[in-house]
Amino acid sequence: MILRKSILRQFKEKKFQYFGVIILLLLSIMLYVSMSMGISTLDNRNDQFKEEYMQEDFHMILANEVSSDQLEEWEKNYNLSLEERLYGDIPYNGNGTTLRLFSNTNKINIPYASEGKLPEEADEIALSPVFAKAHHITVGDEIDVKGRTLKVTGLVYLPDYIYVLERESDLLSDPNTFGIGMTTEHTLQSIADKTVTQILGNEASEEERNAFKSAVTENYSLLKWMNQEENPRIQFVESEIESSETMITTLPLFILALSVFMVLMIMKRRLEMQRKEIGTMKALGYRNSELTKHYMMYATIIGLVGSILGVTAGAALSIPITDLYSNYFNLPSISYFDWDPRVLVIGFFVPNIILLIMTYFVIKKPLQQSPLDLLRPKDTSKGKKSLLERLPIINKGSFISRFRIRLLARSKARAVYILLGVMFSSILLIFGATMYKGMDGIVDSTYKDIMTYNYAAHFKTLQQEETTKGESPFTVAEADIIEINGEKAKEIEQQSMIYGIEPDTEHIQLQTEDGKLLHSTLKNGVVLSEPFASALGLSKGDTITLENAYNNKTIEKEVTGIAKVYIGFSIYSERSEVNEFLGYPKGVYTAKWTEDKPDNSEDVLFIENKQDIIENFESTSSLTRYSVFGIAGFAFLIGVIVLTLITNLIVEENSPSISLFKVMGYKDQEISRLMINVYTPIVLLGFLLSVPIGILSIEQLMNSIVEQTGFAMPVQLSWLMILISLMIILFTYYVSLFLSRRKLKNVSLQEALNKQQD
Amino acid sequence: MSIVLWNVNRIYQSGEVNVHALKNASIEIPDKQIVAILGPSGSGKSTLLNVIGGIDRHDEGEITVHDHDLTKMKDKELTEYRRNTLGFIFQQYNLMPTLTVEENVEVGKELSQNPLNMKDTLEKVGMWDKKDKFPYQLSGGEQQRVAIARALIKNPRVLLCDEPTGALDEETGKKILSLLKYVNETYGTTVCIITHNNGIGEMAHKVVRMKSGEIIEHYYNEEPVDPEKVKWV
Repeated sequence: MILRKSILRQFKEKKFQYFGVIILLLLSIMLYVSMSMGISTLDNRNDQFKEEYMQEDFHMILANEVSSDQLEEWEKNYNLSLEERLYGDIPYNGNGTTLRLFSNTNKINIPYASEGKLPEEADEIALSPVFAKAHHITVGDEIDVKGRTLKVTGLVYLPDYIYVLERESDLLSDPNTFGIGMTTEHTLQSIADKTVTQILGNEASEEERNAFKSAVTENYSLLKWMNQEENPRIQFVESEIESSETMITTLPLFILALSVFMVLMIMKRRLEMQRKEIGTMKALGYRNSELTKHYMMYATIIGLVGSILGVTAGAALSIPITDLYSNYFNLPSISYFDWDPRVLVIGFFVPNIILLIMTYFVIKKPLQQSPLDLLRPKDTSKGKKSLLERLPIINKGSFISRFRIRLLARSKARAVYILLGVMFSSILLIFGATMYKGMDGIVDSTYKDIMTYNYAAHFKTLQQEETTKGESPFTVAEADIIEINGEKAKEIEQQSMIYGIEPDTEHIQLQTEDGKLLHSTLKNGVVLSEPFASALGLSKGDTITLENAYNNKTIEKEVTGIAKVYIGFSIYSERSEVNEFLGYPKGVYTAKWTEDKPDNSEDVLFIENKQDIIENFESTSSLTRYSVFGIAGFAFLIGVIVLTLITNLIVEENSPSISLFKVMGYKDQEISRLMINVYTPIVLLGFLLSVPIGILSIEQLMNSIVEQTGFAMPVQLSWLMILISLMIILFTYYVSLFLSRRKLKNVSLQEALNKQQD
Repeated sequence: MSIVLWNVNRIYQSGEVNVHALKNASIEIPDKQIVAILGPSGSGKSTLLNVIGGIDRHDEGEITVHDHDLTKMKDKELTEYRRNTLGFIFQQYNLMPTLTVEENVEVGKELSQNPLNMKDTLEKVGMWDKKDKFPYQLSGGEQQRVAIARALIKNPRVLLCDEPTGALDEETGKKILSLLKYVNETYGTTVCIITHNNGIGEMAHKVVRMKSGEIIEHYYNEEPVDPEKVKWV
């Protein structure tokens, strides 16, 4: 059809408009495709790795040695698979970096070599790829580990160290300070000061696993038991996949809605501008179906160009995203084809279908008008005043304000669009600002205000020895909240710990957000960490029933406070109470907080260095800080596109009036004030609404993912951050005004005359 | 007969007032003739053209155009009727601003199963050498020539012209009228011209005069004058 030629020329003539909506569509599809492909690839790799390389169901550490006969007997009796594995922490490079080396396994947590081979001989080592990369080590290199020269034979992945955390309580992984590797048992024992034997378990049903655990605790002293579901090194990747799903769909859907809404407004405008042409074509004998097809072509071209570019850019971007995820989570690419082609199909078809259906409904009505109606100028209804304009207070204003209100009142859809666009950009900025402040909040509150110790030494056996000055004993064990106010509590998948502390300890300062100390309340009940309270919806005054994982004993306690501990599912109580609850002698403890570095004796299971945790957190959170700038840039881009498209549309629609104002002697700046700046209150309103909505939605988001992540981010937003966000939004707005003013300048004086002739 | 109207009435609702735009209009327009419908503004001549063209509905009476009974036609049938039988020419030309001269004419050509040759048509209206120009690059007379070509290329049986010279000066207007006469003579097309310019009636085979929605007079010119010789009013 010859009319198609006019479409391409229209695109060329109004290139900014169409380019703008195509960019919006592209961004939406690109975001969806890249994030979905990244996540689906991560999901596929995770599933494949854990199944083919026999990821553990649980692991345990016992205080005593277990014979191989005993292992075989347990395997037979409880219908499960068990295997021993040794590991040891070795200082690397002498700058505080720890390398955790493991012995090989054949049945459970089987190592996967992505490059080279696994160590077979003495003095051979394989390293995790991220650690090797961070320390510039390649396969074939020889590295110095505690004075021994070890040959790097390969790069290795372990199924139980997908998220490489030194301690389960850590939040972020940092390959610069901690890494894993594999070596032979003999080499490990000869270079490690001490080794720990883990017993890995697999192929057990939950019942058999529980029965096995009870049997073990009867005869052995169980130092540690960790189920796969509670192991953050395994679960973090699954939490990331789960929590990303909301983000993957919500963000692109909103941008898609903005772009579809914009296409519809442009189409409506196009049809209004081409009324006479449509009327002429209908008079000439063009059928409705032919004209519908013609106008649908606009949406089809926008949809096709946007989706092809979006899918292509998204697929290309998914490669670095997948690499980033794969490095962040230590997941090997076992097979070549591990991405989900459905993402491309959805990314291409869904936006196009939505766009075409919506466009069809928008163009259907005007095209069904009679040719005669279309050939007549449409001006009669525009003379009427809307309800808003009839308000007496509005009629009292100056000419300029009345004119501006009239313009606003007559294009409500545009005002709503601007409001939504500004709100979207503002919420993104608020989100970024909260993240920026939140990361500081987590460190400051948890590690500086509350945890005032420097080190924590965890022992293999129960300790009775008096602690010295500068030390505080505490007992820590796994415990679950099974009932809340007499009703069954929601099951939390992550490991929850009970800490028995001395009420007068100076090494932990449990306090509320208002800074009120909670230690004195411990004699009346328990204090909970923020993520735990948030995940279970608990607040002060609730009654909870606790069950410990060792002897299944239960105890009922009142929640006396929520401490601003933002990491982990922790319950704090008095040490004597916890010892009684666990069936331990009254004065014992399992760990101690210290100010000076404790000796790494045989009794010590591991030592936690708080400074390492803070540094680790801060070095990794710098990535989050950079992403905040990315978010701000993205918000700016969306804002500029949305606002400029609208203001351009206003100039285009009002060009006869603009021309008339020019003829009458109005200056460009005055016309701009009359026509374009009219949306300033809407922009400000959009921003003001976004602040509480943004904070509320971030709180909701944090609450929804707290169960998977195990940390609650304090939603703190300073006035300065709000002011900076407002400045960015206003800057965005004024950039779009500047761009539109150029269009306003180009409106010729002839235009008014031409329209009068029409 | 090409066009027959019998007791046609058309009443518009304008606010709370009923406007009787056509009152019992009855007329016969012979095939292959030029008919001029004359009258001042508001006389109903445009309404008459619109109901003949099927872009407006009459309320009472009967209209038959080349055996098409417009009274009983549904919207879709009216579209087919306009597509296959009519050509429209408007006072403001109504060309597609984003299409060239040739492409604008092709808009009409696409609708016809038996179109005229593009080059011949554009040559006939004297626009072949400007076939790649856009409407804004043409004068008013040239734009109207393109509009005529667009209507003509469909090879319609009836050409309805709504004030075709209304926006043109005398010299250009007369050239357009000559072109319409040429079309009528060459292709045997019935040409209906509505105009407030009484002089144009001199070139028509039949003249219809209207006033306040009524046909007050209609007669045949025994010797229609050459368009170049009409008195321009």
